[in-house]
Amino acid sequence: MNETMRNQKNKRRYTDGILNMLTYASSAICVLLLLSIFIFIFSKGSGMLGMKLLTGDYWAKNYMTSIQEKNNHPSTYKSPEDASDDMYWSERWGVGFVDARNENNEAIVLVEAIDDASPFAHLKDESRQNKPSISAESGYLLENLSYQTTQGTTRLAGNIVSQDAKTVARLLDQDAVSINKIYFKTPGGGIRGSLLTTLYLIIISLLIALPLGIGAAIYLHEYAAKNKITSGIRSAIEMLTGVPSIIFGLMGVAVLFPLTKLAGADTTNVLLGSLTMAIILLPIIIRSCEEALAIVPQTLRDASLSLGANQSQTIFKIVLPCAVPGILSGVLLSIGRVIGESAALIYTMGTYVNDSPTLLSQGTSLAVHIYNIMSSEQPNFELACAISIVILVFVFMLNLLVKLMSRRFNKAWY
Amino acid sequence: MDEQIFQVEKLNLYYGKKQALINVDLTIRKNHITALIGPSGCGKSTFLRCLNRMNDVIEGCRIEGSIALDGVDIYDASMNVVDLRTKVGMVFQKPNPFPMSIYDNIAYGPRCQGIKKRKILDNIVAQSLKKAALWEEVKDRLQDSALGMSGGQQQRLCIARAIAMEPEVILMDEPTSALDPIATSKIEDLMEELKKDYTIVIVTHSMQQASRISDETAFFLLGEVVEYNQTSKLFQQPDDKRTEDYITGRFG
Repeated sequence: MNETMRNQKNKRRYTDGILNMLTYASSAICVLLLLSIFIFIFSKGSGMLGMKLLTGDYWAKNYMTSIQEKNNHPSTYKSPEDASDDMYWSERWGVGFVDARNENNEAIVLVEAIDDASPFAHLKDESRQNKPSISAESGYLLENLSYQTTQGTTRLAGNIVSQDAKTVARLLDQDAVSINKIYFKTPGGGIRGSLLTTLYLIIISLLIALPLGIGAAIYLHEYAAKNKITSGIRSAIEMLTGVPSIIFGLMGVAVLFPLTKLAGADTTNVLLGSLTMAIILLPIIIRSCEEALAIVPQTLRDASLSLGANQSQTIFKIVLPCAVPGILSGVLLSIGRVIGESAALIYTMGTYVNDSPTLLSQGTSLAVHIYNIMSSEQPNFELACAISIVILVFVFMLNLLVKLMSRRFNKAWY
Repeated sequence: MDEQIFQVEKLNLYYGKKQALINVDLTIRKNHITALIGPSGCGKSTFLRCLNRMNDVIEGCRIEGSIALDGVDIYDASMNVVDLRTKVGMVFQKPNPFPMSIYDNIAYGPRCQGIKKRKILDNIVAQSLKKAALWEEVKDRLQDSALGMSGGQQQRLCIARAIAMEPEVILMDEPTSALDPIATSKIEDLMEELKKDYTIVIVTHSMQQASRISDETAFFLLGEVVEYNQTSKLFQQPDDKRTEDYITGRFG
């Protein structure tokens, strides 16, 4: 008897240990996976992060410029005192260059600093009609500079002949008597346009989907009779949650495009993407809103009704305010969905990265921007990872915000 | 003082196929406290909720017979249920203040009726809290959350909230079952006080409470009113054997 009990006990301890191990192992695997994603993205992308990425244009601008000779006071320019050691300064022309690498890992020369009186600060833009005066700016790529040597021959300098910053500065100081043409390129690769488009998408789709979704949830949970029709509607909504987004995208192009055409669009556009997103969000919002309404205690509804409030007063003054935290988490889910969506948006907004998106123009969300970068001939992992970091930070901040807000609404809630 | 306010005749209530109230006849007297006692599931709470039509919310609930308030049938099609509930207030088993300030809790009912003037609302809030014997405790923190009060204070707030509507009748559904003895005795004292202005119908599980505070008592069993009498009579010389068994604790 005693023996069997001891056996039983050992067996129990054994199975207990195995089960515990299993749960520990599976959670450890999850944490590892998450960590490895973070490490991969941050190690690849953190180098490209910066204000230039967030506020810059995606497309490089080209400037073909010429010098206005009368401005030059050769060899009087002093290197700025706060200049870094990597910068090579041309005293003759009052401009400093640094070495850098572009997204394809090729060595390039960038303009780093310009003296206020330098001819580089008073260039003529030859590519425009009335040749307006422009200044080179820090960060411009020095693509091609043609100059006259002391012997009177024309030479080229800059990225086109694969020189480094030191050579360019030396040539300018020792060799260049006059400069004929300078071809600058802005760096590009920024995501300002996609950030803006993403914000447009979030705001417009929520503006449409949130009131509709809350209204539908209120109807389903508070007004509708609990019968087969209601539960049919509810399961239809739940099925919509599972429909692949690419199908919503098809529907957007086929059904909603004529609507935006009425508004004046002639291509797929941000508004169309927002409308499609609104439809994708509806089931999510309705579900989370209904769940939020279900948590509100029935006793509060009873109390309100017993005080002579009618049903709409009860719903809008008591039930909805109590459901705000739940609705907010639905909003968070929705924003996450908008940020992560790509398939439906490729159909409805195109994949052209637009630096100045409007409602009726094409544009890309951050996710589609990544798609665009990665589907080009030379996928740029670094930029894609940098955008991923932006997305992750965005989602993280949203999470915090919603938590703070719901805590405020929630204070001392039972 | 022996005017009657509620006249209930042949009331039958069904939840779907199940009958929860059977042929209930009751007369509730004005400015009296009427206690409804009986074992769990006997229909006393259901009956209470009939008096301000809170059963309307429950699906599959069907009612036959008539309940007259001041001679008007409250289940008549011409009866506005919102008006009825302003005349017949209710206090629930668990204190259920709204998650807002003390002031807003009391002002909620009047505001729903369209009263917006700050002065009138201030006055209503002060009067209601005074009548509910809560004014001295909360007058300095009217803008604090009602959820920060103790359970007993919350329940008195709920009573004040009902009083703010100037009802004729206050229905109480086991108002002290979630409270400690001190809070309970405060609420019982309060009921004695409120009796002067209002008619009170109270459902209670405590026979001591019923005998302490009520003027009339109705004993419910399996959906029927077994006995309805003056409280002293019912507790000392019950007419029915089943009543005697229940109040002496032989079942229930």
